[in-house]
Amino acid sequence: MKHFPSPGIWLSVFALLFAAGPLLARKNQSAKIKAAAIQVEMIQSDEIKLPAEFQVALYENLIHQLEKQGFLHVYRDGDRNAGSVADLVVLHSTVRGFKAGSEKARQVTTVSGATSIAVHCQFTRPDGTSLLERDVNGKVRFFGGNLRATYDFAKKAANVVHENFSSLTSE
Amino acid sequence: MTPRRMTVYLVVGLLFSMLVSAIGNAQETSVPVKAVQLTGLKGFKDNTKGTLSVENGNLHFVHGKENSEVSATSIQDVVTGADSRESVGKTVGIMGMAAPYGGGRVLSLFRTKIDTLTVQYRDPDGGLHGVIFTMSAGTADAIKKQLVAQGAHTTATGEPTAVPSPSNTSTNKEQKQ
Repeated sequence: MKHFPSPGIWLSVFALLFAAGPLLARKNQSAKIKAAAIQVEMIQSDEIKLPAEFQVALYENLIHQLEKQGFLHVYRDGDRNAGSVADLVVLHSTVRGFKAGSEKARQVTTVSGATSIAVHCQFTRPDGTSLLERDVNGKVRFFGGNLRATYDFAKKAANVVHENFSSLTSE
Repeated sequence: MTPRRMTVYLVVGLLFSMLVSAIGNAQETSVPVKAVQLTGLKGFKDNTKGTLSVENGNLHFVHGKENSEVSATSIQDVVTGADSRESVGKTVGIMGMAAPYGGGRVLSLFRTKIDTLTVQYRDPDGGLHGVIFTMSAGTADAIKKQLVAQGAHTTATGEPTAVPSPSNTSTNKEQKQ
């Protein structure tokens, strides 16, 4: 005859599992970096020559996506009001790769003509102390114009912020 | 100096000042061009159609009853570029995708050349904004020239600003000049 553990043991195992979930979640939350606001610097592309419209679209979409998340106040590059904010995070973005595709090629062939942008994102304090660094890509493979790659990048970068930073006001 | 020579100098001076003032007046207002605001202009949704003009030192964008102004002196950079878009509308393009044997893809081959105008300016707090407009080919340069004449700055000086891939549909016009 097989020996099954007693219901008490099962109960305690389930209780442990249920308790571990929130505890792990809290651990993740505590690993998040505290921030009151974020200042987005203009996208830099010293090494890679990037068309002006891509540079501006990356910047504007990034700000728009961060504002959409709503948990951090977003300041623009050069905004003097950001100077007085404690626990400010500054986002520096540098373009590391750019492949300009073709909307026509995408629509006609559906396999070629993808546009992709690789951006190195560095989050620092205003004094330059580095907090986090990530490489984020933006791509458009099928539908939409080339600038849609900048929207893809902005969404991913905003997710990085959401995963790694927590608002001071939310606690 | 003889009186005759003095008269000649006076007439030349007068003509020159008239010419300068005429150019100045011509630069104050421009003919509005149809444009699409792709992104960045406060108070407007992305891809808003409207008219763009340069008047009294400001860049004007008007859509219906709403309008937005950007002072030319606050503009840090204004760059023109070239791109293309589908000649057929979005709806026809999407409907074409349903055509059998991928026949709708033929529509994608018909494209219209367009100009892009990218403007970067600072708000009163010093915050940097970027706006992208598209308009029919050959119209962006005139707007850029008017903005520069009225105090806007530009970093594109006609030097090549290369784009890595030859397949790019969004090359800078400045590099072609």
